[in-house]
Amino acid sequence: MADNAYDKLKHSIRYWLLRKLPTCQQTVEKISQSMERRLTLRERIDLKLHLWICAWCQWYLEHLQIIRDTARAKGAEPPDLNSASASALSSEARERIKRKLAGES
Amino acid sequence: MSEAQAQSPLKSPDCAAWLDEHGDYLYKYAIFRLRDETAAEDVVQETFLAALKAYEKFEGRGSERTWLVGIMKHKITDHFRRVAREAPIGEGEGEGPEHNELFEQSGQWTGHWNADHAPTDWHATPAELIERTDFWRVFTDCLSPLPQRTASVFTLREVDGLKSDEICEILNISANNLWVMLHRARLHLRNCLEINWFKRPER
Repeated sequence: MADNAYDKLKHSIRYWLLRKLPTCQQTVEKISQSMERRLTLRERIDLKLHLWICAWCQWYLEHLQIIRDTARAKGAEPPDLNSASASALSSEARERIKRKLAGES
Repeated sequence: MSEAQAQSPLKSPDCAAWLDEHGDYLYKYAIFRLRDETAAEDVVQETFLAALKAYEKFEGRGSERTWLVGIMKHKITDHFRRVAREAPIGEGEGEGPEHNELFEQSGQWTGHWNADHAPTDWHATPAELIERTDFWRVFTDCLSPLPQRTASVFTLREVDGLKSDEICEILNISANNLWVMLHRARLHLRNCLEINWFKRPER
């Protein structure tokens, strides 16, 4: 019984907070901005509370972090020359650059 | 290169061999960041030309390839600067899709995630993803519908790790503008990756 009452209370608080706080659509924009600037105190509190009750926005934040970490790791490593999907310099472009270099040297 | 040049006392590199050795590497580096074949070819050409002029300064210190990539980074930045100058912001292109459909548009949960589009657990780490060549194909495809400038802002920030104010300076945009573009790019890319990579059963 006690558990049940506790769950009900938790649910009510969560519901009340979700109605009071900025929406998910507003929150994801703040999540993105938090990666670019220091949020104001009010923004930080709203964001923390929203993330506390919203698993979807928690995933969103985690995904942006995964995208950033993966893209930066990729940017720091040498291009994969063996991958078939990535294109190579076309033979026309290669010839054009060769002629240009020969002309300049 | 002419015969006379090849025998010149000034040690200049064998251009053909040079291009064969580093051409594809530099092109791949450029195409990943510019997503435009013509622009990438131009940047490769400018890099080799600049390298040829500065070859005496290089003097074989360190790796030739690292040196070339260093030059290319500047050439890519120059390219973005030039594009920003030639087509100032606000002419014909927006910052990118707003993706309002991802959120409830009416009812008591207006503005909250629509359950069909809400983020899910990706069960992935950067270390695994970086190894997957096909992931990068999806990643590149997902960036392609974005306006060129928005995709460029995203790449400069998230691939090359430039600071926000450096990007604002290169592209001649305000901080506010940068935040909007990054937000639109992330919202779009995250959703696109989830649909086309993380939710694909066979990946």
